[in-house]
Amino acid sequence: MRFWRVNFRLTFPLINRLLRKTMAGRYYRQILAALVLVSVAVGSISCRAMASNEEFFGRIAPAPGNVLRYITGDEPESLDPQKTTGLPEARILMALYEGLVEYDPKTMDPIPALAERWDENNDSSEFTFHIRKNARWSNGDPINANDIVWSFRRSLAPETLARGASLGFYIKYAQGYNSGAVFVHDPQTDKFLLESGFAPASEVPPPLSERPVAPASEYKPTEKEKVPDADTPFHQFMHSPTRLTLPGDEKSRNKLLAQDPKLQAAVAGKEFVKIAGKDIGVEAVDDYIVRISLSQSAPFFKGLLANQFFRLVPKKAFEQYKELWAQPGHIMTCGPFRLKEWKPYNILTVERDPMYWDAASVHLDEIQFFPTADLPTALNLYKVGEVDALYNHAVLNAWVDFVRGKKDWMDAPEAVTIYININTTKPPMDDLRVRKAFDLAIDKETWIKWRKITKPLPGITPYGIFHGYPLPQGSKFDAEKARQLLAEAGYAVTKKGDGSYQCPKFPVNQVEYLFPTATSNKIMAEYMQAQWKQNLGITVPVRAMEFKTFVDARSKLDYKGFSFGAWSADYLDPFTFLSLYYTNENDNSTGWWDKKYVDMLNEANRTPDQAKRYELMSKAENYMLESQPIIPVETGAVNWLKKPYVKGMYPNAGSLFAWKFVYIERDSAKWDYSTPSTAD
Amino acid sequence: MLRFIIRRLLITIPTIFVVITLTWGLIRLAPGNFYSGEKKIPKSIEHNIREKYGLNKPWYVQYGRTMSHIVRLDFGTSLKYEGQSVNAIIVRSLPVSAGIGFLAYLLALSVGVFIGSVAALKQNSAWDYLSMALAMIGISIPNFVLGPLLVLGLSLNLYWFPPARWSGLISRGIVLPVLTLSAIYMAYIARLTRAGMLEVLRSDYIRTARSKGLSEKAVVIRHALRGGIMPVVSFTGPALALLLTGTVVVERIFALPGLGNYFIQASLNRDEPLILGIVAFISITLLLMNLLVDIAYAYLDPRIRY
Repeated sequence: MRFWRVNFRLTFPLINRLLRKTMAGRYYRQILAALVLVSVAVGSISCRAMASNEEFFGRIAPAPGNVLRYITGDEPESLDPQKTTGLPEARILMALYEGLVEYDPKTMDPIPALAERWDENNDSSEFTFHIRKNARWSNGDPINANDIVWSFRRSLAPETLARGASLGFYIKYAQGYNSGAVFVHDPQTDKFLLESGFAPASEVPPPLSERPVAPASEYKPTEKEKVPDADTPFHQFMHSPTRLTLPGDEKSRNKLLAQDPKLQAAVAGKEFVKIAGKDIGVEAVDDYIVRISLSQSAPFFKGLLANQFFRLVPKKAFEQYKELWAQPGHIMTCGPFRLKEWKPYNILTVERDPMYWDAASVHLDEIQFFPTADLPTALNLYKVGEVDALYNHAVLNAWVDFVRGKKDWMDAPEAVTIYININTTKPPMDDLRVRKAFDLAIDKETWIKWRKITKPLPGITPYGIFHGYPLPQGSKFDAEKARQLLAEAGYAVTKKGDGSYQCPKFPVNQVEYLFPTATSNKIMAEYMQAQWKQNLGITVPVRAMEFKTFVDARSKLDYKGFSFGAWSADYLDPFTFLSLYYTNENDNSTGWWDKKYVDMLNEANRTPDQAKRYELMSKAENYMLESQPIIPVETGAVNWLKKPYVKGMYPNAGSLFAWKFVYIERDSAKWDYSTPSTAD
Repeated sequence: MLRFIIRRLLITIPTIFVVITLTWGLIRLAPGNFYSGEKKIPKSIEHNIREKYGLNKPWYVQYGRTMSHIVRLDFGTSLKYEGQSVNAIIVRSLPVSAGIGFLAYLLALSVGVFIGSVAALKQNSAWDYLSMALAMIGISIPNFVLGPLLVLGLSLNLYWFPPARWSGLISRGIVLPVLTLSAIYMAYIARLTRAGMLEVLRSDYIRTARSKGLSEKAVVIRHALRGGIMPVVSFTGPALALLLTGTVVVERIFALPGLGNYFIQASLNRDEPLILGIVAFISITLLLMNLLVDIAYAYLDPRIRY
């Protein structure tokens, strides 16, 4: 204080004299006035900053009109539901299109949408959907079962190039259709070759959907209405033993045949019939009943149907405009809202669709989606009150501490798991003991404490999402045991003079930790590196990679040692996480696959009793964890903001919102003064 | 003069050809694809996508096809944004970038030349030091620092201007991006004007003009300034080209739907037609601007003849 005063007295006359000497001297008073103005401005900035509403983050002022302004993340790739796979698009598409079912705004369980109800057979391998009779497209055309069948066929057609097509592969023959595969037809007997003769014999019985039709006993008797006894030729076809499918492409087919002489002999003289859209297990039983037959038991399938991939697309617009059907001016939709305006990279506005079957209960007149991927920009827009809600993970790491005390910050677990992949195909990580040692040497509790908002992760299924699912025990941090395991594997850890550890025999040059460039990933990499250094005496090099380069390297197992891993649920069932290790196509980027694990999961999915099914799945998860293809790290947490006057929007596990339930509340007494509960 | 222009235009063609070829090669070298993402896609779908976009053809076929399209000035359709043609994207985003860039340059030019001239006329005075100190600050503060600072003060605290988003060229929303964008150019122009003016003010023809009894105003504005801003003119070409074609950082900070924003996103998305289209467009603009600068030189400086 004193220093400032002395300086001020000394310098002010000096400035005074300097100013008088120059041309500016004439404007001395004006300059003085300007200085006063500037100090008033600065003063008011700091006063305002202090007086800002402490309860919430930034200004609370709903826009005039019944409008929601929402930042959805990246610019949408397309408005064609089957051409996108991302969450930013998913949220926009949820406003524009409906599927057979919709996500419950709180629990994300399937709720009726185009289908007003559904029946499920006893082993969840066949579903019958009853379509509501008042559903309409945005141009007023009615929607019936044939529209739905057409849309399913289109989504799985190979020429649609849908990147999310594997979501539909549970449907019988869908994978074959999508990959352009062929059936083998015998022209003499007019019969098709069956899979059972060539696939390795399995002890497990085929799902009900592949056994002879028996509707009376197949469906649960608890339904309100009796299941229509509509046995059609197509239904018989679905319920007949699975046909053999071979690759449609001649080169790969010949390669396959060359490996299997028995198959080659059986195929000789037969003709190949390309699997067509009409062969997949989706059938219009009558104008308002759609039956879907699966190739396996999948109780989670009905929940999957709310995914954007299964939302209904219009045959009429598609036939008229082909690939450009989803462009503004051509687009036809079936959701609670229709497209009003789309200015790319700026704004996408949807308005209430009067043709929607439930238009009367849609609250909002309009939703404005802003594609703003830059996080500070999104937060600024929220703070000044230009937007009403942000997409998940919009709050920067550095801001979390400040924002999480506010009443408009959403605090809830998320169906996202974060873990470390291990390349189990390359030494030294092909040794189970080494993998276990690296897992035990990480103090995950401290990490989660430091991260503040995330939750623990004992296995691959997230914590706090699936109620009633017995989560695995998870490993306890045990550095001593880790060192012991490493020693057993031939890499003795010794103590140095200063008390730190060293592991001279460990081939450090054969491991590294690879992660996609992002500050939070880097911090995680550094933490793991420090833990391994501290507890095992091994300094694993860490390396950042641009996102697409990273994904490419990881999926080709083109990394040594460790790579960052994260998975978000496609649907709310533990299977979405467990299925990462289900197929033998290295979707999991670890190189680990085990037939026994697949059998265990299949058994679980055939179990109608949910508690029993969860138990069996949990057993499979534990079995997988025994082999340690991954090191579980943490369960994600939602991290976004919503103004208190935005109601009907809940921090659900997938951050997907059924917009028709969202509304703007003008009465401040009814506002949300904390995270709204997602409990039902 | 005409021969000069034609010669320059002819040199432009091979230059752009080289730029596009290099860009094309660099895109090839980058791993990952426009369709790759966190979740794996079915192998058969990947195969079909590659087939559809000709990615499974040998590189020279792909290169030849790309080039034949570009020669016809048809950059094709964006791979990422289904059904949107590259030409339409450029036509749509250019007015945003060009509008902001032009306003920023106008502001930078008027304020910069004024400050620079005053500083030169009052050399070594407090004005001179003050303006040059400001110019130094303007050059040193990068726009990704200045932008957020302006947002913090004028938007988040005072609520005078929106912190981001595009709502038309005539709106309160463009004040902050224009200020942010112009700061560094303003500073450069001020310094260039000062240097140019100082040199000119000491030259013989200004002494002649003064000795002829011309008023100070006439000497400064009609004679000194014309010679003094020559460095500014040569700076204007590349500066204006870069400003008009979008600035990645400012467009990103303020979420503006301009060319720069598309450019960075296209690179991250590996959206080849869009990257090539924007690169070609920017290089053509840059070369044309340089040509315009050279023509302007001939008019401003009587000593230069082509």
